[in-house]
Parts: sequence; structure tokens; C-alpha cells
Amino acid sequence: MSLINVSISDVRADLIFAHEQAWSALSQPGTWWSGAQRRELAHTALLAVSENEPSPPWVAVSTVADKNLQIHFASSAAHDAVYRIARHAATLTRDWYQRITQEIEPLAFIELCGVVCTVATVSAFRRALDLGIPELEPATGGEPSRIKPANVVDATLNWVPVIAPADENAAVVQAFTAVPETNRVIWAMADAQYIPDKEMVDPHWTRGTLSRVQMELVATRVSQQRECFY
Amino acid sequence: MLSWSGTEQGLEISLEKVKNTTGGVDVSFARELVDFATAATEFDKAALTAARNNLINIAGLAVAIDASAVIANFEMMTRLADSTGARMQTEVVQDRLAVATAMGVDNVISRR
Repeated sequence: MSLINVSISDVRADLIFAHEQAWSALSQPGTWWSGAQRRELAHTALLAVSENEPSPPWVAVSTVADKNLQIHFASSAAHDAVYRIARHAATLTRDWYQRITQEIEPLAFIELCGVVCTVATVSAFRRALDLGIPELEPATGGEPSRIKPANVVDATLNWVPVIAPADENAAVVQAFTAVPETNRVIWAMADAQYIPDKEMVDPHWTRGTLSRVQMELVATRVSQQRECFY
Repeated sequence: MLSWSGTEQGLEISLEKVKNTTGGVDVSFARELVDFATAATEFDKAALTAARNNLINIAGLAVAIDASAVIANFEMMTRLADSTGARMQTEVVQDRLAVATAMGVDNVISRR
């Protein structure tokens, strides 16, 4: 069998665009974190998803000397949370969430989760095709917008607050809604990577490559590997 | 979603076999897709290279790229779900418990 090299030019333009937009945003001011903070947290997430021998979930990674984390702009608690979500997400509990949100405001926590999700998805795609992980861009200056939507409410189906009305959509769909820019970036990638939202109810939808059932087979295997009950 | 989409297309899906990566699923390139998804979520670079080449050779580059995109999507969605405490309504969990058991995820910590 011959070794086949994949090039970024082989990838669909819409997928490249969604990834580039999300990756670039990692170094730009967000809603609750500055560009320098977001970039630094993304760096920790990259470490977490790429280590052959990760710190165990019960260890605060910021206390591990040989990790050489860059902790200059965001708190140690934020870095610890990022590492835990990026590498040990299935071990998270409500108690953990309640502890972390005593140190990180819930809406800032949601944005932090979005940083991890962006790093995890782009790096997984690149790694699967041996394309190499792009460098994080230099941080852009400026303050986070700190714009809080007016209708943020508690939810039953998530730990995190969501935009009202709560629990009318699936928990994963409403999870990031209280930070609209994070929500937009994540779902733009989901549309390009998986299935456009409006096509989700069609079991026969396809891009002409994978059938819907083939996509779900892959999705099921990844979810099982990550021990994700949802 | 796998069971649903398979049923809608008249395909037989054994979740037990998906869990154990033993193939036996009546879907084109099932064995290669599951092997690729497995290797992409582990840390054996040689196994990943082999699984990727195998999938490209048998199904084509475009299929491998889109399979990588789905893998990437669920590396994202599993973290989104678990970090935000996403859960299904009790009645939905009851409906799907047999599926979760077949996949071996009925007793994971992330069940909430």
C-alpha cells in the first residue's frame, strides 16, 4: 500500500474557511477574555490534547513544573479548567463546575469552553490527515466586549446558563447561547464539519461522500472513545 | 443518531460490534471508518497513518477528508456536552438506555 500525503488544498473551501475563522479568533479579544488570555488558554488546550502522557484529571496542571505552561494573562484556575476539559472532559461533574464558577464567572466559563472546543476540533482534523497544527496567531490587543445578553437564564438541561427560553432545544444546542459569538463560531464549524443545521432531520442528507449513516457511525465511535454519555 | 439513520435507510447496525470495532455493520467501508475513527482518537501515529491510507485507498480521499471532519466535530461536541453539563431529559435517557448499554457508556461518569 502506498503512503498517501494529504494537502490542505484537498480540503473543502467551506471547511477551511470555518477553521481559519475560528483559529484566528483564538488570538482576538472575545466577550469575556482578552486576545492574550484566549491565546494563552488555547496554548494550554493544545498541550492537553497532544500529550502522550497527560496529567491525570485530579491534578491541577498549573502546579506541574515540567509542563512549562504559559501563565501570564489568565488565572491558574482558568488554565487548569482548560486542561481538564480538553483532556478529561468525561470526568467533569456538577461539583467541579460549581467550584470552578466560584473563580470564573459562568459566562466567561462558557467562552473558555469554546476555546477548548475550537482547539480540539481543528487539531483533531489536522492530526487525522497529518496536515500539521497551525501556529496560533499573535494576540490582538483590545478589551473583551463584556456584552451580556439581557435574557440569560438558568437551564435544567445544562449546568451553564442559556438564553431564554431554556430547555426548548437540545442541551448541546443551547449550551453556548449565552455567549453569542462563541456560539456562532462553534456552530459555523459544526455546519461545515458535520451536517448543516437545517439538514439535521434528514437521514438521507449527504455531501456526496459519506452517507448519513456513515457519518453517524464515525460520530458514534468518537463519542464512545471519549466516554461521552450524551 | 446512528440507529435512527440506519433504520431510516434500511440498514442493520450492531452497536455492540461498533463498540468492539469488530465490523459486522452493514454500511459501506464500516470497518475502515471505525478503524480510522479509533486511530484518530488514540496516540499511535503509525496506526493512524495505516488507517488513513487504508480508508483513502478503498473509499477515496474525499471520504477520508469528510470522515476527518466528522471526527473533528465530535471531538468538539463531546467536550461541549461534558463541559456544559449537557444532559437529556429523563424520558429520553430511558428510551435510549439500551443503546447506551450496547455502546458501553451506560455507566460512565459523564452520564448525568
